Amino acid sequence: MRDKNKKGNVRHTLVKAWNYKWVYVMLLPVIVYFIVFRYAPMYGITIAFKNYNIFQGVFKSEWVGFSVFQKIFANKNFWSAIKNTFLLNFAALAVSFPLTIIVSLMLNEIRGVKFKKVTQSVLYLPHFISWVVVAGIATNLFALQEGTINAVLQRIGLEPVPFLSSEGWWIFTYVICNVWKEIGWGTIIYLAALTGVDESLYEAAYLDGASKFQRLIYITVPSIKSVIVTMLILNISKMMSIGLDAPLLLGNSRVMGVSEVISTYTYRIGIEKAQYSQSTAIGLFQSVVNIVILIAADKFAKAIGEEGII
Amino acid sequence: MAAKTAGKKTKFSFGIAAIYALITLLALICLYPFLNVLACSLSGYNPVLSGRVTFYPIDLTIEAYKQILGRTTIWTAMRTTVLVTLLGTALSLVLTILAAYGLSIQDLPGRRVMTGFILFTMYFGGGMIPTFLVVKGVGLYNTLGALFIPQSISVFNFIVMRTFFKELPDSLQDAARIDGASYLQVLFKIILPLSLAVIATIGLFYAVGYWNSYFDALIYIQDGDKYTLQLRLRNMLFGSELGNAADDVGGTVVMPQTLKMATVVVSTVPILVVYPWLQKYFVKGVMLGSVKG
Repeated sequence: MRDKNKKGNVRHTLVKAWNYKWVYVMLLPVIVYFIVFRYAPMYGITIAFKNYNIFQGVFKSEWVGFSVFQKIFANKNFWSAIKNTFLLNFAALAVSFPLTIIVSLMLNEIRGVKFKKVTQSVLYLPHFISWVVVAGIATNLFALQEGTINAVLQRIGLEPVPFLSSEGWWIFTYVICNVWKEIGWGTIIYLAALTGVDESLYEAAYLDGASKFQRLIYITVPSIKSVIVTMLILNISKMMSIGLDAPLLLGNSRVMGVSEVISTYTYRIGIEKAQYSQSTAIGLFQSVVNIVILIAADKFAKAIGEEGII
Repeated sequence: MAAKTAGKKTKFSFGIAAIYALITLLALICLYPFLNVLACSLSGYNPVLSGRVTFYPIDLTIEAYKQILGRTTIWTAMRTTVLVTLLGTALSLVLTILAAYGLSIQDLPGRRVMTGFILFTMYFGGGMIPTFLVVKGVGLYNTLGALFIPQSISVFNFIVMRTFFKELPDSLQDAARIDGASYLQVLFKIILPLSLAVIATIGLFYAVGYWNSYFDALIYIQDGDKYTLQLRLRNMLFGSELGNAADDVGGTVVMPQTLKMATVVVSTVPILVVYPWLQKYFVKGVMLGSVKG
């Protein structure tokens, strides 16, 4: 009886699915795309446990267990890349996170519609400029010789600053470029949250004699607290991944000690040195750590009563 | 009491003035690098060499542009980039629309599984080398296809578009279905005409992405005649392919720096041209994307 029911259900689903046959046909190229370009590479991860040999390919190369991992873990460059990834992410976050919120709060106070529109357009623009161009512009501005900023510094009698060639200053330049490119874009999410703040709260506070600053501290900030916390957790959950473009393009041999991060290291080991197994193992290690951090961050967000991030 | 309020009022407007000043300053900081690049690209040899150029050209000359635009490599790269951007954007839009439409149909059997199948790739992927091997394996290495086919669907854009499709009123679609319209007809006659704004936004996002990418060309392209503009620019700015003035016979001697900046301008102008359209919609797009589903 039960079995019959089950069969009926299956048949029912199949009949229903048949009605949607053209929808499946439409979805077919999408599924094929994801299988070939997203899931097939996941199978390729097996070469992290193999000694990849170009003549034998992914399938036939010999299994070597965790020896590739032992090799990468024994390399101090690997640990340096991890340290640098955290360092650069942390430096960028420490500057851009509070700054983005401050800029959002300032933009929110602006009443002139036209002024707001123009400045916002200008602030969002750098987000759409390629990293190649941003790095090119940065080099033009920050270079030791011929750089505009150092030329100005020297003209007013100061020592030139090695923005791109000393490790400490390079981190500074990296952070500046990141902040410059993304600060405007980052405000969008906060501005949207700010438009949702209940106006009557402000009116009530105003009538009670609260100053502008008090209203900011006691109404505005608490109203967007949940967005702030979620964004912070989201950013922290991405600590282990870092864009390849900025460190690769801004970095140079003199600052390799801080500019070599996981993504650039994967690139150099994999593409430049053709150590496929090692590069894949590094990528896998990064993915796994990423997922662990992400799940932990999600759990944490839910534990403190915020929305999850997955 | 009245005096107190008045006191607050003046303090309040001082604060507002400071905010206006700070925001103006910030906008200028965002604009200044562009002005600096433009000024450098239009300045003469000596002012650039001595770093005197700040935000306006000194010894105005368009020699750098003449030399850059006189190079066939730049035009070839430009053509490749335009081609990749157009083909890539078209393919990306078609695939994203198909995915978003199909998976926005609530009672499609298998919808949850397929959606999960797509969303999973946001959190886990094969990584650089396995993807590289697949691209090589399917024969795309050193072809223009490698520059757009492997990255044609962005899961983020898929989510944005699906959220938008889901929010469209069901009644129209249901009525059309009852009248015997096929799903393809519903997509073309009802969904797409109502979604032009979101399609334009996502299309522009894809186009900007293709235009700006250099890394795929860096790892997948071997032949110089298939280099994209961003890769040429990168090689010129940071690599060996220096804009060596001595190569260009005739013409005035131009600072390599000036040539570089002129190339930066040439490769950025198209972005600036589409920017007004882009920014008309993207805020909404970003907000839709932040609504998870």
